[in-house]
Amino acid sequence: MGDTLSWLIAGPFMYLAVIVFVAATLKKVITIASMPRHLRWDLYPIAHEGPAGSAFQKVEFWKQPRHISLAHELAEMAEEILLLKRTFLYNRKMWNFSYPMHAGFYLIIGWIGLVKFGAIMELIGGLKISGASTVFWAQALNVVTVIAGAVGLVLGLYGCLGLLWMRYTDEDLKDYSSPITFLNLYLLIALFGIGLAAWLIEDPSFVLARGYAVSLYTFKPITLPPMMTLEVLLFGIFLIYLPFSRMLHFAAKYFFYHNIMWDDEPLVAGGSLEKMIGGYLHYKAQWAAPHLKSGDSWLEQATANPAKPKEDGK
Amino acid sequence: MKHKVSHKDIAKQAEILCPLAVTDLDKVPGYEEKPFKPVKPDWKEKYDFSLDGFSALALTPPATKEAEEELVNKFLRGLEKLFSQESNWTFMQPTSLSTDYCVRCNTCNEACPIYVESGRQDIYRPNYRSELLRKIYQRYFTTEGRLLGGFVGADVELNWRTIYRLAELTYRCTICRRCAATCPVGVDNALMNRELRKLFSQELGIAAEGVHKSGSMRHLQTGSSTGMTPAAFLDTIEFIEDDIEERIGRRIKIPIDKKGADILLIHNAGEYVSWPENPAAFAILLDAAGIDWTLSSESMGYEGVNYGTWYDDFQFARVAVAQVQAAKKLGVRRIVVGECGHATKAIVEIADRVCVGDLAIPREGCLPLLEQIVTSGAIKFDPSKNNFPITLHDPCNMVRLMGIVSPQRNVLKAITPPGCFREMPNAGVMNYCCGGGSGFAVMNSLNFPEWRNNVASRMKANQVLEAFKDCLDPSIPKYYCAPCSNCKGAARDSLMEHYGFRDKYNIIYGGLVELMVNAMVDVEKPFISWEDEF
Ligand code: SF4
Ligand code: SF4
Repeated sequence: MGDTLSWLIAGPFMYLAVIVFVAATLKKVITIASMPRHLRWDLYPIAHEGPAGSAFQKVEFWKQPRHISLAHELAEMAEEILLLKRTFLYNRKMWNFSYPMHAGFYLIIGWIGLVKFGAIMELIGGLKISGASTVFWAQALNVVTVIAGAVGLVLGLYGCLGLLWMRYTDEDLKDYSSPITFLNLYLLIALFGIGLAAWLIEDPSFVLARGYAVSLYTFKPITLPPMMTLEVLLFGIFLIYLPFSRMLHFAAKYFFYHNIMWDDEPLVAGGSLEKMIGGYLHYKAQWAAPHLKSGDSWLEQATANPAKPKEDGK
Repeated sequence: MKHKVSHKDIAKQAEILCPLAVTDLDKVPGYEEKPFKPVKPDWKEKYDFSLDGFSALALTPPATKEAEEELVNKFLRGLEKLFSQESNWTFMQPTSLSTDYCVRCNTCNEACPIYVESGRQDIYRPNYRSELLRKIYQRYFTTEGRLLGGFVGADVELNWRTIYRLAELTYRCTICRRCAATCPVGVDNALMNRELRKLFSQELGIAAEGVHKSGSMRHLQTGSSTGMTPAAFLDTIEFIEDDIEERIGRRIKIPIDKKGADILLIHNAGEYVSWPENPAAFAILLDAAGIDWTLSSESMGYEGVNYGTWYDDFQFARVAVAQVQAAKKLGVRRIVVGECGHATKAIVEIADRVCVGDLAIPREGCLPLLEQIVTSGAIKFDPSKNNFPITLHDPCNMVRLMGIVSPQRNVLKAITPPGCFREMPNAGVMNYCCGGGSGFAVMNSLNFPEWRNNVASRMKANQVLEAFKDCLDPSIPKYYCAPCSNCKGAARDSLMEHYGFRDKYNIIYGGLVELMVNAMVDVEKPFISWEDEF
């Protein structure tokens, strides 16, 4: 019974979780990306404008070539993604825990990559990756994998516990923490905590984890020890839940920055943006206030004048 | 004292949810606080003051249960439209992102001058109103909210109190977007606030009188939010020409309706009414620099404001389109907006995706042009004429929201002697709002000005004092340069009148062009005077 359950969780359930995660995340991202282009709502500095700064600082800016520096944009993104720059600058207390949690995630993502890479190498090279291996790169891969996994789990757990402590003790945060917020944190704590326990007790060199990855690649699911089975179950639940939760902010953040704050694309006559807007102007807006005409097109309403004095002067 | 108010409390029956007192507020050094005036009994009887004891909207509570139900239904219908592509293509994407992905970290809170200066009152947190919007939206429009209610946070009851307090709350934020600049995710509470204002305006017909009835509606009716008709405008220009002659000893013919001019200059028409020396200084500079420019006497062509920017997409678009049409009629090559932050942002940036096709006439703000005048050498300036301490206010709309940071500084450096210009703390894109943003400067109904002056402008008062801390002695004349009409309105009402900076410290306020003309070699008499009534 236990083996069957473990097999079901480690195999079919995990495949399902990955499929749901990918499909639901894609669906969310596509939904966001296909919303209409909105009016400009820039927030400066805009990273890709670099040290030259805003185009609006130049006389007849429309005559100047648009300045886009990918290097500056990437640098700003790297600071924000890798160091959580804004949290560091404006909320240091939270950064002390939020950063370890995020770093934990990054390391675990890296660890998953390393485990998968190891699994592929084992499949292709027919060689076992472990501390006992006589091949240098296999030994090195093993060390890096162990460090990434262990440090990631410890940092993640520490960060989540810290955030939980903050949410319980910080009066200001309490009002902004609904039961679901706590549930999210408990889920992450369980994920990191049980992961840590599974590593310490059942799989200190991640040999089993690599073997599990091989089993997934070869569609020959295996059974796992109890702690690892529980961890895989939690990870699967996490994957399924993630796209429906606010934790998807990692993907939404791209749109916040690139599509809103840094969207300084000017309108060019005859360009695709102009065509797009031209289409929106035919939308029927349904607002009901007296100064609007519900059901008329955007264009009609934007060119109407509800306050215009009547011809007869009344 | 901090008044603990949870989100759920918004619906509760209480005479005043957060009874704000001056003792709650952060201190302004040297300013003796005057207690808030009690609400007049006849106002109290008629209008709702139940948020914080102030009213910006003069809302009358519904008289019957049916009227309350109708209000709630209307609110919900409006809320739904915020998330509809057809009704809200203009901001649907940012609105839904900001609704779904706030991680409730409260990082934005400390960025907000209103929250901080109010003694950190819960109701003024940048995310307090956004969170209410989310909770109501979840409860009525999402499956998890309907099924799980409070577990997912959908725990706010919707009654007339919730709606009226929320409406009032939307006018306790200046939409300065300082909070958005600090959010690690990118969530924009200022946008959420504007969306809520929009819902109230576009669906329920609720908006502050100063921005709607005597703002954008009067603008569309008379050609200017000031009520100035084309004929009155022409009279004003004549008066300004006389004034210029008196000030500089020669007459300048201000070009009006000059077809095919290079530049159509559009001022915030409030300048003509309250600070005519500003359009006068522009005229002197453009004339001296040999620029081919004109003003328009066409209805909508001489008024740069666009109050829709703060509360209503349609009013915004109507004004922007009419302004551009006035320019087209003259056949000018480009529009330049005078010293007005929101007017500049409205027509130059936001309207970029409204004025399409043949309405896409080039538009820009005046600060780069002023910089060009200084650097081109077309006019000779003597910086020593501006030999007094000067500090610079960064209007949110031009600076944080358009990135225009260096031109005004380059101008100041060129027209002031070393050591006179000093930045205030947090200068640049993280500067604080003057307290008059998002319409506050023109909202004067009931006891709202008392709240505005005491709370919204308080941070600016502290910034200005900090900038001039080494020269507060009234024997030293000082100049607070605010290159924005609304910011000057806030300076006049709050800094000068309310906090008494003029009388106490000899600080006067004005724009950038006045300083430029003051430094012109060809202008003999000082253009700026500490004796004049500003
Ligand atoms: S708006 Fe941003 S900073 Fe404020 S609570 Fe939400 S995520 Fe945090
Ligand atoms: S926009 Fe400005 S005033 Fe409004 S909540 Fe944000 S920081 Fe405060």
